[in-house]
Amino acid sequence: MIDVANITKTFGTRRAVDNVSFSVAEGENAVFLGTSGSGKTTLLKMINRLLEPDSGEISVGGRRIADQRPEELRRSIGYVFQNIGLFPHYTIEQNIGVVPRLLGWDARRIASRVRDLMDKLKLPPAQYKAAWPHELSGGQQQRVGLARALAANPPVLLMDEPFGALDPITRAAVRKDFRELDELRSTTIVLVTHDVQEAFELADNIFLMDKGAIVQHGTPDQLLFHPSGEYPREFFEEQRFQLEAERIASDDYPALIRAFDHFRKNRG
Amino acid sequence: MEQAGSFWEFVHAQSGKLLQQTVQHIGLTFISLLIAVLIGLPLGIYITRHRRAAGFVLGIAGVLQTIPSIALLGFMIPLLGIGPLPAITALFLYALLPVIRNTYTGIDGVDPGVREAAVAVGMTATQRLFRIDLVLAFPVIMAGIRTATVINVGVATLAAYIAAGGLGEFIFGGIALDNTTMILAGAIPAALLAILLDFLLSLLQHTAAAKRRTVIRLLPVLLLVLSSLYVLPVGYGSRLLAGFTPEFMGRKDGDIGLRTVYGLRIRTVVISDAVMYKAIFNRKLDVISGYSTDGRLQAYDLMALTDDKKIFPPYYAAPVVRKDVLERYPQLAPALDLLAGQIDDSVMTALNYQVEYLHEQPAKCAHDFLVSRGLYRSPRAGNKGLVRLGSKIFPEQYILTEMYAELIRGYTDLGVDSKTGLGGTQICFEALVNDQIDCYPEYTGTALLAILHPPAAEEARLAGSRDSVYQYVRRAFDQRYDLEWLAPIGFNNAYALMMRRSQARQLNIRTISDLTDYLKNDKL
Repeated sequence: MIDVANITKTFGTRRAVDNVSFSVAEGENAVFLGTSGSGKTTLLKMINRLLEPDSGEISVGGRRIADQRPEELRRSIGYVFQNIGLFPHYTIEQNIGVVPRLLGWDARRIASRVRDLMDKLKLPPAQYKAAWPHELSGGQQQRVGLARALAANPPVLLMDEPFGALDPITRAAVRKDFRELDELRSTTIVLVTHDVQEAFELADNIFLMDKGAIVQHGTPDQLLFHPSGEYPREFFEEQRFQLEAERIASDDYPALIRAFDHFRKNRG
Repeated sequence: MEQAGSFWEFVHAQSGKLLQQTVQHIGLTFISLLIAVLIGLPLGIYITRHRRAAGFVLGIAGVLQTIPSIALLGFMIPLLGIGPLPAITALFLYALLPVIRNTYTGIDGVDPGVREAAVAVGMTATQRLFRIDLVLAFPVIMAGIRTATVINVGVATLAAYIAAGGLGEFIFGGIALDNTTMILAGAIPAALLAILLDFLLSLLQHTAAAKRRTVIRLLPVLLLVLSSLYVLPVGYGSRLLAGFTPEFMGRKDGDIGLRTVYGLRIRTVVISDAVMYKAIFNRKLDVISGYSTDGRLQAYDLMALTDDKKIFPPYYAAPVVRKDVLERYPQLAPALDLLAGQIDDSVMTALNYQVEYLHEQPAKCAHDFLVSRGLYRSPRAGNKGLVRLGSKIFPEQYILTEMYAELIRGYTDLGVDSKTGLGGTQICFEALVNDQIDCYPEYTGTALLAILHPPAAEEARLAGSRDSVYQYVRRAFDQRYDLEWLAPIGFNNAYALMMRRSQARQLNIRTISDLTDYLKNDKL
């Protein structure tokens, strides 16, 4: 669905993204994991042309994005920001309906789509339809942000640290409702995060990034149990026990004991 | 109470004029504001996208803002002449900075996250501008427009100086005539206008976000309607155009006298005397009010029309001195009297011409004159006391004061302290009465009409007679203020109507009656 070939992006003298290539299959949830400054957000922004690469090529759905009008491309790609970016002068209903309106949907279709999404994201329309963004809590605002990104049924959804600004309890709740959305089943998602826990929870494939390059990619199990080198091994070290414990069937005692021994050894 | 009564009387009597001026004032304010918004708003938007140009554009607009308004109007005259065009241009330049700056800071202040989101959802540049940037920056931009409006209401009063109308006509007429009622009749409506417009625009500024796009669409229409209120100052239709100072417009021995005594009907604009001469010289005006000894009469080849019905009272200049000073320094009066009868109209005009037009120093001009008349003596000790000389703020007074200073130094043992440039009549007179100065040159007509205010019957009896006016003011000053009028210097700096010599000759106009007759027979 998304094909990225030899992308490079420099800011001044700093190479934010350094000759990166990867593919994301249709319906796949790809998570780019890395510390801040690893280039993952830059990479994400190039997929909907918020940033233009210095060199390399990106295709979405088989079409080179450089050949498309950026506005049209963006209307077919949902985008969720860490800082949400709701339009403060639009009601919740107008915020969610913004892309369908740009696409010229008729008013009734927009209204029913908005109602539908608000129901699914636990924002009772009767209560919140006419509310303003500043009247909502952080978690509610991010639910609106998700709804806005999904409103026009985009085949691709880009998410930049979407739950990063929320407190842990709210984050878990929003993430849960997000995962249960049926529209996501066919949607190709590229999500950027520095939260290992989140990456493992949401990813089909994880792309571990460092210094503008992909260090290792694969399923969560591959990254956890077969790290390709020093950086991937160290990256998960902190949370290894918890991650492994979650991934091991609860009656596989030998594996559990191995994991625990490993954990104890590391803690010294 | 009396003041308030006379204020309402004045407003009632002049309501037509007041209304016309107010409407002109609103029109002037908004026509320039409209242009400022049409140019400033796109410029402000442009510099949010081209940061490098921002400093330059804001810098230029800022510099324009620091030019004193009178000076800016002055710069406009050689370029654009007189009338509405230079006034609107100057006002527009003043309104520009707040509009550009607030557009820039307003859009700049929109949350970058929101602006990025607008890009990410697929809005085009135009959609982002009209749906996001302008709507969210609206309160800040409106604050800029409010500032510009209030500035314009204030500066527009100066439009009266260059024949563009507005409430300044009353304000500057009132200042010139020392007529508080008249000043207030212009100043109060101007202040109320500023407050009212500020209030109305504050309502717009705080429009709820949802309705802002409607306001953004309606605002240009509103500005256009208000701008159209500006209609040119129209008077009687006549081929010749007169430009009178605000002072002249309000005086009995001015425009009022011309209309009642002569029956003069001429299309008239109000204009400051600083630009009036240039305007008549450049054929923008045909008739102006002026002073009969003004040096510019000679410089611009103008001719004073004879006042054949004697509506302009005589304005003979003479030194006015505190009596206690004359008693303390007996040498003083003879020294001052040396100038009596020495300077007639044409000599004074020539002296004024040297200073005003040839830019000679008043001191040098005074010195050369005294030498040529054999009156000059080199200074003596100057240690027996000090005489404080005052003067009003125009060249003729400077020249006279310099002559008196040289005479006092040469013929007495007194020192001289010159306090020149004391504004108008009222300031000089108050300074003299309150013992801040000892002597200044005053004019009989001014003393009669601006200081003494005699009853109408008395004024009629004195009218036109040089000696009776002099005797009257001399006696009154002596009795009321303990001030002494010494002998007149000789010239009569009275009001006069002036025309270009060439045109007056061509139309065969020599007197004001000739002018009146010409206009009667030459209706458009």
